[in-house]
Amino acid sequence: MELCESVQRGLQQLADPSVFITSCYRELLEVSYRSLLSSQADPGVLDQAELKQVEQIVLKQSHTAATTFILEAVKLNADKSTISSCLEELTFSAERIDIFYEAHQKHKKELERLLASIGRCPPHINDVSWRLQYHVKNNQVDKVNEPFYCIALNTENEGSPEDINFTCTVEQLQDLVGKLKDAAKCVEKASQM
Amino acid sequence: MLLVLSEEHKEHLSFLPQVDAAVVGEFGRIALEFLRRGTSPKIYEGAARKLGVSVEMVQHGVEGLMFLMTESSKHMISEVDFLDSVLVLGFSEELNQILLQLYLQHHAHIRSILSQLPSNQPAYHNLEWRLDVQLASRAVRQQVVPILTLRLLLSGVGDGVCARRGKVLQTDPSTLLHLISTLEGALAAMKSSHARRIFRNIK
Repeated sequence: MELCESVQRGLQQLADPSVFITSCYRELLEVSYRSLLSSQADPGVLDQAELKQVEQIVLKQSHTAATTFILEAVKLNADKSTISSCLEELTFSAERIDIFYEAHQKHKKELERLLASIGRCPPHINDVSWRLQYHVKNNQVDKVNEPFYCIALNTENEGSPEDINFTCTVEQLQDLVGKLKDAAKCVEKASQM
Repeated sequence: MLLVLSEEHKEHLSFLPQVDAAVVGEFGRIALEFLRRGTSPKIYEGAARKLGVSVEMVQHGVEGLMFLMTESSKHMISEVDFLDSVLVLGFSEELNQILLQLYLQHHAHIRSILSQLPSNQPAYHNLEWRLDVQLASRAVRQQVVPILTLRLLLSGVGDGVCARRGKVLQTDPSTLLHLISTLEGALAAMKSSHARRIFRNIK
């Protein structure tokens, strides 16, 4: 993992028992994971009683460094030996490395999911609703007497919901379902490879 | 069911007995062509010049035929009712038969044209799909996320223009299975006794 100088400095401070005592170190790691995972930035995240004994500037530098390190580790899917050797170089004790790794294992999956959701993608279909109607007549044509469906695909585009509405005849719906089933079959086959 | 023709309509059609049966046939062809693709004043002008009558008379004749065809197709009247309806026009038996043939041959097509008019909602046309696996992104390297990318083609969006519109969407495999089972429920509703009773009774 390549870390810039300020991050390295922040982490070295975090490794130093004279700056962060062990309970303080644990608390800062917890706070770092929490601030990454909470949906809204909490300005008071560093206002913990445990962290009061650390100088504000040092606290902020170490917090920034820790969050950067965590994100890099998740991004690169770093294994235990990579993390250990990296922290060792930054003068972390074996005990502090273990504490870090334990916390990392606990939150890694959730962070991965969060990071994977970042980025642009087409609207995502979440659900579908349907209505069966019987078209009897209209102002242009009498005696239509055809059943048809109104379909609404509930999609989500960058967080905002949007419905895609369309109509289809029974044959068209059969066609649509047939194609979706083909796709599902393809997924199943691919998952067995 | 009989058609009730207005006086104005009768007057417009009264031009037909003045010309040859072949010309009426030609008018019928033009009327259907116009129903399909919209009217064109140039054709009226050409026909009027050939027949030596005013453009207005030709236009009224053709449009009268168009209206006669759309009205009878709209109500899907029977052969007998069609003949009885045109009886009031006082045309010859031959002319009535030409009109009847025109109606019988084309009413299904005219109905399909008419049925496209009121649909303001887009209609399903096709679905294309592709299975993708997301392997990495800027934020995370080393992922294996199966994604289904779908392209939904919808037709007939607004203004009577038959424009096809493709929408690119995506979903995940478990949602895909959910979509299938929900839509299969929709298809099953068609076959329920409730739906079948309604279909049988509204005729």
